[in-house]
Amino acid sequence: MSKIMTVDILSSIKGAEPSEAVNKLFEVIKHAQATNNTPFNNNHDSVSLDNLRADEIVESSALEKQIIKDNFPKEKNGYLVVSKVIDA
Amino acid sequence: MESQIQQIHQQLVDKSISCVTLIQERLDALQKNTHHTVNSLLSEFALEKAAKVDAKIENGETIGLLEGIPFGIKDVIMLQGTYATSSSNLLKPYKSAYTATAIQKLLDAGAIPIVKENCDSFGHGSSSENTVFGAVKNAINPELVAGGSSGGSAVNVAKDYTVFSIGGDTGGSVRQPAGYNRVYGLKPTYGRVSRYGIMAYASSTDCVGPIAKTVEDIRIILNTMSGQDTKDQTTYQSQHIEKERIQSTSNAKTVGYFKNFIESEAIDPQIKDEFLETIEKIKAKGITVKELDFFDSDILVSTYYTLAMAETASNLSRLDGTNYGDRIEDKNLKESYAITRSEKFSEETKRRIVGGNQVLSQGFSDEIYLKGLALRDAISENFEKDFENLDIIISPVTPNIPPKIGDSLKDPLAMYLSDAYTVGFSLGQLPTLAVPQGTQTGLQITAAKNNDELVLKFANFLKDTI
Repeated sequence: MSKIMTVDILSSIKGAEPSEAVNKLFEVIKHAQATNNTPFNNNHDSVSLDNLRADEIVESSALEKQIIKDNFPKEKNGYLVVSKVIDA
Repeated sequence: MESQIQQIHQQLVDKSISCVTLIQERLDALQKNTHHTVNSLLSEFALEKAAKVDAKIENGETIGLLEGIPFGIKDVIMLQGTYATSSSNLLKPYKSAYTATAIQKLLDAGAIPIVKENCDSFGHGSSSENTVFGAVKNAINPELVAGGSSGGSAVNVAKDYTVFSIGGDTGGSVRQPAGYNRVYGLKPTYGRVSRYGIMAYASSTDCVGPIAKTVEDIRIILNTMSGQDTKDQTTYQSQHIEKERIQSTSNAKTVGYFKNFIESEAIDPQIKDEFLETIEKIKAKGITVKELDFFDSDILVSTYYTLAMAETASNLSRLDGTNYGDRIEDKNLKESYAITRSEKFSEETKRRIVGGNQVLSQGFSDEIYLKGLALRDAISENFEKDFENLDIIISPVTPNIPPKIGDSLKDPLAMYLSDAYTVGFSLGQLPTLAVPQGTQTGLQITAAKNNDELVLKFANFLKDTI
């Protein structure tokens, strides 16, 4: 199997191809001069280790669980149906 | 203009209008409106809450300032048990399992949501035409677009269908429609308002922001929604903004504007002239105005879209029809994913997902994605340096007036470039308010990070100055 994955496969969108308009944006980036070529210097959004939320399981409410089930696209005999996973 | 929230609050307290009547009137207006602002009405939910407010008033109990005030929610934000379609086919049958933190805070304060509002699907657009509910029509001229992506929200406020609406702003999606419909729209400092419960578009710039008719209403809503949230670890604890501290007298001594925005050939001559007139009026008040150098518009737009597409490709990979949404069955799992996504995403959403996967793929990521990150850092540094010597940056909201409905979808590149004046402030994660003055599509007022208070104060000053 080829190791090259095209954008349609990467995107899970049939027949997808790169867009001319978007490629024009990328061309601008390629030719732009960044004064600083080392990214991640300004990682303002990182969270301090002392400030992490507690790693604990929070039980969902009965209503939330019911809505999640209602949102499931397909149900049969009380089971939530998913597609066949095994490929030939 | 007086605060709409204060005004209605007083009417409810004085019993000159009942909350049920107020809510029913707004629901009726929304129902009848022809601007395509409504994805779903929350009639039963809202009227039930309104009856409780009336009972409270009848019993002589005190009601809070926001209690009974009708508001709208962009249809990418969660309210438990109600539709959250993101204006897409894929999520048309989807109901929120939980409520967004920002909305929960408004509910806790007693405000009443009455409508889920039309917008560009997944926030992908600047015109509110990329929607399965019909293009949103501009509040002032219905032949023109409403702007986007929070177009339905801005029109609802402009037409008085809602007292305020809650939108989402990733690259200008609150500010640009606010400008196009001549109302106020705030993108708070990134992290001031929790993103928990807003469908993720580009997580590093997504912000929840209010749209309203007065600065005072923006202040009230911002204070209510702000605060640290363990469910969004990018949030921080901000200070309450007091009413007295944003009164008209400006404490801004130095204001800057980006010379290249105004000297650009792409700017509408009338917007340019109006902006320069505003500058003269500010100078006449004794404020020093500085011309600033900044990155070219095409670099700003390209940097923003490169990063936003990469993030949206990742964020929307969960939408495959397996656990929720509208699934199309095919011969196996992979084919089911592909056919569902191919047929249920709009052309613009697919374009952005594909663009995102392009920049994240081997061979492209260093050349484009990592360079985009470096450019964002450089843009942020530029802002930090500017704000060492400045209090406020002002800018037009858009280079041009709103296009006619139908024109934007034909030319995606032109639509991306129309965001030239808003995306830079998003990349800088700065607080920026669109105000309905200064040019025909308004002005943006920006301050340093976490100085949302100064933005509101300067808006009050401008209101009295121009």
